[in-house]
Amino acid sequence: MRLWQLALRNLRREWHLPELRTLGASLVLAVTALGVVATLSTRIEHGVLASAAELIGGDVGVASPQNLPAEFTEQATTHGLSASRSAGFPSVAFAHGQSQLLDVLAADSAYPLRGTLELLDAQGHSRIGHAPPPGQVYLDHRALVALNLKVGQPLQLGGRPLTIAAELVREPDGGELFALAPRALMSLTDAEQAGLLGVGSRARHRLLLAGEPAGVRGWRTWAQGAKLPQGAELITPEQTQERMRAAFDRAGAFLRLTALLSALLSGVAIALAARRYARRKTQEVALLRALGTSRRRVLGLLAGTLAALALPAAALGTVLALALAQAAWVLASSLFAGVPTELPLAPAFAAAAMGLAVLAGFALPPLAMLAEVPPVAVFRASLARRVRRFDLLYLLPALVAVLLIWSQSGSARMAVMLAACLTLVAAAAATLSALLLWLARRVAPGAHPALRLGLAALARRRGMSLVQATALSLGLVALLLLAVVAPALLEGWRRELPADTPNWFALNLQTDQRADFEQALARLGAGKLNMLPLAVGKLAAINGTPVDQLHLQDQRAQETADRQLRLSWADALPESNQIVAGRWPGEHPAQAEASIDTSWRDLFHLKLGDTLRFEVGEGTLDAKVTSIRRVDWSSFRVNFFLLVDPAHASELPHTWLTSFYLPRGHAEQLAQLSRDYPNLSLIDVDALLDRVREIVDRIGNAVRWVLGFSLLAGALVLAAALAASAQERRHEAALLRTLGARRGQLAAAAACEFALLGLVAGLTAAVGAAGTGIWLGRAVFRIEGFVPPLWPLVLAAGGAALAVMLLGLAGTRRIVRTPPMRLLREG
Amino acid sequence: MSGSSPDSDGTQHEDALLDVRDVSKSVSGPEGRLDILSGVSLQVRAGESFAIVGASGSGKTTLLGLLAGLDTPSGGSVRLGGHALESLDEEARADLRRRLVGFVFQSFHLLPALTAEENVMLPLELEGSNDARTRARAALASVGLGARQRHYPAQLSGGEQQRVAIARAFVHGPRLLFADEPTGNLDQRTGHHVSDLLFALNRDHHTTLVLVTHDSRLAERCHRRVELQEGRLLASVA
Ligand SMILES: Nc1ncnc2c1ncn2[C@@H]1O[C@H](COP(=O)(O)OP(=O)(O)OP(=O)(O)O)[C@@H](O)[C@H]1O
Ligand SMILES: [Mg+2]
Repeated sequence: MRLWQLALRNLRREWHLPELRTLGASLVLAVTALGVVATLSTRIEHGVLASAAELIGGDVGVASPQNLPAEFTEQATTHGLSASRSAGFPSVAFAHGQSQLLDVLAADSAYPLRGTLELLDAQGHSRIGHAPPPGQVYLDHRALVALNLKVGQPLQLGGRPLTIAAELVREPDGGELFALAPRALMSLTDAEQAGLLGVGSRARHRLLLAGEPAGVRGWRTWAQGAKLPQGAELITPEQTQERMRAAFDRAGAFLRLTALLSALLSGVAIALAARRYARRKTQEVALLRALGTSRRRVLGLLAGTLAALALPAAALGTVLALALAQAAWVLASSLFAGVPTELPLAPAFAAAAMGLAVLAGFALPPLAMLAEVPPVAVFRASLARRVRRFDLLYLLPALVAVLLIWSQSGSARMAVMLAACLTLVAAAAATLSALLLWLARRVAPGAHPALRLGLAALARRRGMSLVQATALSLGLVALLLLAVVAPALLEGWRRELPADTPNWFALNLQTDQRADFEQALARLGAGKLNMLPLAVGKLAAINGTPVDQLHLQDQRAQETADRQLRLSWADALPESNQIVAGRWPGEHPAQAEASIDTSWRDLFHLKLGDTLRFEVGEGTLDAKVTSIRRVDWSSFRVNFFLLVDPAHASELPHTWLTSFYLPRGHAEQLAQLSRDYPNLSLIDVDALLDRVREIVDRIGNAVRWVLGFSLLAGALVLAAALAASAQERRHEAALLRTLGARRGQLAAAAACEFALLGLVAGLTAAVGAAGTGIWLGRAVFRIEGFVPPLWPLVLAAGGAALAVMLLGLAGTRRIVRTPPMRLLREG
Repeated sequence: MSGSSPDSDGTQHEDALLDVRDVSKSVSGPEGRLDILSGVSLQVRAGESFAIVGASGSGKTTLLGLLAGLDTPSGGSVRLGGHALESLDEEARADLRRRLVGFVFQSFHLLPALTAEENVMLPLELEGSNDARTRARAALASVGLGARQRHYPAQLSGGEQQRVAIARAFVHGPRLLFADEPTGNLDQRTGHHVSDLLFALNRDHHTTLVLVTHDSRLAERCHRRVELQEGRLLASVA
């Protein structure tokens, strides 16, 4: 008979075995948990990205200094996308003899395609709208204040008389911090007729598109292949401002972590079930071997049986995962209202593959050892016990775990740290359990009979107790991390945006204006004043090779190279920057020196000693890379990818970027200030911060959804792990009943045993979760001084102990009732 | 241990430790009702050794289960140490077993996770005894396994495992010891050694012995024998 036929028959015969069912259920559960989490995570990431589309006003777009060729719009129509054209330019507005330079956006009536344009009418009623019809204009609050105007009044813009139809509260502005200035939104038709967009104007044209994901992808592929006009660049949700990216990255890390913990939980359950299966099969395998079956065939048969079980289980898990993810998405989709995303299939299949890997990794060691059972074990079970050279096999689950952690965390550093944390927790759990069990042995002789019996049972099932306590601790750590630490992390992350973060920026300050401006701010009561020089240029060459001959593979690198970049300099290393290689430029280096951020290093594969050429204004600057910095982009400080040494850089044409904190409600005074310094652009960061907070909140809500699923998965896997010892207990209960133990005695003993087990696991888990949480908060999420809430942790651990006890008791209820007659019959 | 004070209803066996009257057992299976035992009556006196023999499938194990209160008869009555088992619930029967009864099984039934010593300690722990370990060691020594206390069942031979099981059966001084094919899994010599131990218990401690066996030589060493055939008692051999 063929091996696979044998394996199938074997599976059919053994399907009633609880271990095999547990194995199958664990796998289904693992794949479902992994799949749901992965599918939802991916979808939420898509959702988050799509909601980033709200920031740019469309799913994708092009920005160009000239009017775009018609084919870009035609292609969009072909791909079933709706389009909106707009142009941004600076223009001076006049009213009542006052003038103010405004950042004007002229848009067609389709604008915005994504996100909301929030307006305030003359009566102060808020409404959502689109770009104004010809003859009308919307001004933001700062523009109104600067011009001393109200909604309903007229003004001159680009030589045309326009009526202010509403106050502009919020618009999908691209989240581009430095592009913000007092703003006006007018009709594209007006702007065209006024000749504001003709050749020689400083207008930047934008084409924004929105539609179904497939169409957007299609258009993007086309646009990337097409020749973009000189100076044009794609606008994508991914390349929104760095700070947003940091927020998305952290959300992503969080979601992946959640999935990872579910997977490891399932691994523990699978390992327990496989061990139990191997134990049960020992006699049978010894018999097969004694009857002349080769080791290879035994292994093949075992592997075949496992595969026959695993493949349908994985398939079922995949289907369940997709169905659950779809259901959850429908329920949670209000979070991402109006953002169309497809149900991604790949993550569920990847989850199935990962589940199979977990099964193989965790189930193989006991099964491989099973194949090694010598035929002579037919006669004495002890001979099957230990095959030393197979101890190494137990590294396999560890390896699978590390690989899984690696694949989910995306960074070797995080993988190693996480694995170390989990190992530490496991070791701590084992040690603490061993200690408590030792204590139990000491205490046992003087204790109440029931307690003594329970303690004795626990102390004697030493190996199993240790395994269980450790597995439970790990599971509980995961649960506690998800239930207690994760929300605290989210909360800390949100709070981390401190109240006195600089909320205003002033751009374009000239060097000779610095002193006066500083005094003026001091009179207003502004604090946290910080001035940084700012030169705007382009990357021209790396190590002498012009950028356009570099053939950059990475699309992000290409985009970065095409964009304008900002250079700054400082005497000392700025806060929230950390040198990871090289050294900070000295006082007067002979050659210009540059300090780059790690993302630039990775983007352009730079190393210390490389030279970069920048074009700034009319001149160029050649600088040698002498240090590489890690920048905390989430710190809400002004940070730069590129810093050059002050000695050489101060020669470059530059202006000053000023940031300061001014409590809300000082807009009028600031308006006066901006009239005094007409060349200055003042930017309100509060509005932007509100947007960031809102996005963080939104991600937080979504993450909680995913957490719910992992928690459920974790609890189910825990129950499966508890069931692992049921068989042994049943036999034991039958024997004890025969020897005259009362049900109460058995129940009390079981209660003691599980309570102690739960207590050990709960305590270890609380400590482990707190430690892991502190590390996660500080090292990974960079929340300074993060301490997870300790009381909830302790309470949760206590609750978990109670739950373990109740679960254990519920599990032994049936066992306690085992009829003693069974023993006589079980030969 | 207190002496028995049977409140038997005027029968000739006032001192019967085990009094079985017209016991029957039937189960309903897939092919309808199946009578395993019918009309079985027997008495076992304290200090006696008593053998139940019979072909395989004749109902010996079933009867033993009823005698020890592990199962309840479908009809008739079983009195153990003067207590009518059918009037007791599972809990009370367990209590009775703990106080009066020891067991030896054909396949030993030692707990694999416990050492020899710990296996023997079990009945004492159920009683709440304070010197369980000392007494368990003494019992092991008396079956000749003083040097194997710390060994696990898997590290012991079949005969040694059965001796551990015997130590476990008498360590708490039961008045009645049930043995279901105690030598069934052992070779003749080892079996002999094991049965010697059982009869020594019977002789030296007056522990009543109820044996189920195929082994006619073992049965012949008992004071009395009964034979079961298809669920009925054939003859009582003095
Ligand atoms: N729960 C039950 N359901 C159905 N039949 C049963 C049940 N228990 C016992 N039997 C049947 O009752 C008969 C007697 O069984 P028992 O185990 O008492 O025999 P035995 O004399 O101990 O045999 P052996 O010497 O082989 O151990 C057998 O035919 C058995 O199949
Ligand atoms: Mg039998």
